[in-house]
Amino acid sequence: MATIRVIYENGSPERVIEFDPAKAPFQHDGQPGSVLDVLLGHGIHLEHACGGNCACTTCHVIVRQGLNRLSEASEQEEDMLDRAPGLTPTSRLGCQAVIEDRHAEIVVVVPRYTINQISESREG
Amino acid sequence: MERPTYRARVERIFDHCEDTRSLFLRTVSDTLPQYSPGMFVSISIPLANETRVRPYTIATSPEDGEPFELCFNLVPDGPGAAWMFERTVGDLLDFTGPFGAFTLERAPECEMVFIAEETTIAPIRPMLRRALSQPAAHQIHLLYAAERSEHLLYRPELELLSNAYPRFRFEPLVIEHDFLYQRLLDEVQRRWVTSDSGRSRHFYVCGIGSGVLKLRHLLREAGYERRAVRYERW
Repeated sequence: MATIRVIYENGSPERVIEFDPAKAPFQHDGQPGSVLDVLLGHGIHLEHACGGNCACTTCHVIVRQGLNRLSEASEQEEDMLDRAPGLTPTSRLGCQAVIEDRHAEIVVVVPRYTINQISESREG
Repeated sequence: MERPTYRARVERIFDHCEDTRSLFLRTVSDTLPQYSPGMFVSISIPLANETRVRPYTIATSPEDGEPFELCFNLVPDGPGAAWMFERTVGDLLDFTGPFGAFTLERAPECEMVFIAEETTIAPIRPMLRRALSQPAAHQIHLLYAAERSEHLLYRPELELLSNAYPRFRFEPLVIEHDFLYQRLLDEVQRRWVTSDSGRSRHFYVCGIGSGVLKLRHLLREAGYERRAVRYERW
């Protein structure tokens, strides 16, 4: 079984999920087997304003462990991540980062600010 | 951080054609937050066993105030679109946002090319209006494609703008669906890659499916700076 541990920067209690990547998708939004899909499918909220379609950065997560166990980021995801508040070298969009390894141990941090509303936008 | 949820009432409904509709919404107790042209709101769609969130671009300009317009089409097997099509005047919708990174707050000081297909004109429309409202001499092009002419939304408005602003060139294209993106690729290749060595333009592409990514790839491979090719793929 794979595991994903979710740490919230805002201090909310951590959550740990065990799941079988082979059973993806777990619900309707984001890439099947993505961090977003797994979390939502196990009752854990992760914001996804665009419905998991790689059109915003509200599902931005920082991968603290298991980055190399995630699918490679597409150019589209990289383009969107450029605009994520608090971007780090291990940032991913939860709706696009797919966990395929059945024994992966993933740890992600949900940043305090994950929005690109007007107050946070960087216009280019 | 708790994200605020807003409530809006359907004030007016406009049918562009049989499968494309606009809802005009007015917030109930708060005003719509400030936003940039191109942004979307995230609507809560109450389905039988769950509530889903679906993004809908604001097709009006921030300068227009409220009511604000959401334009969408009836997607086959799309529960969100079906629910939106069932809304009537007076219905209430809950949403968060506005959100989005495919925006245009200030036009760049260079030629601009907008490319859209059918309802994906929704973010382009306010972006275009913002660009035209800012004094500049640079050319602005809009390539707008659809399989049927009735799916070229806001056409009279866009034609009026092209008459009012000589630097704006509006080019509607009616193209069979299977050939739509190949035609757009050919146009872009011919006009802004092969026949012109300049690479200072900015592109804003909004469309559905992989064709958008092919346009992005074409332009970036041709030497356009990565951030000069902005896109949103639905």
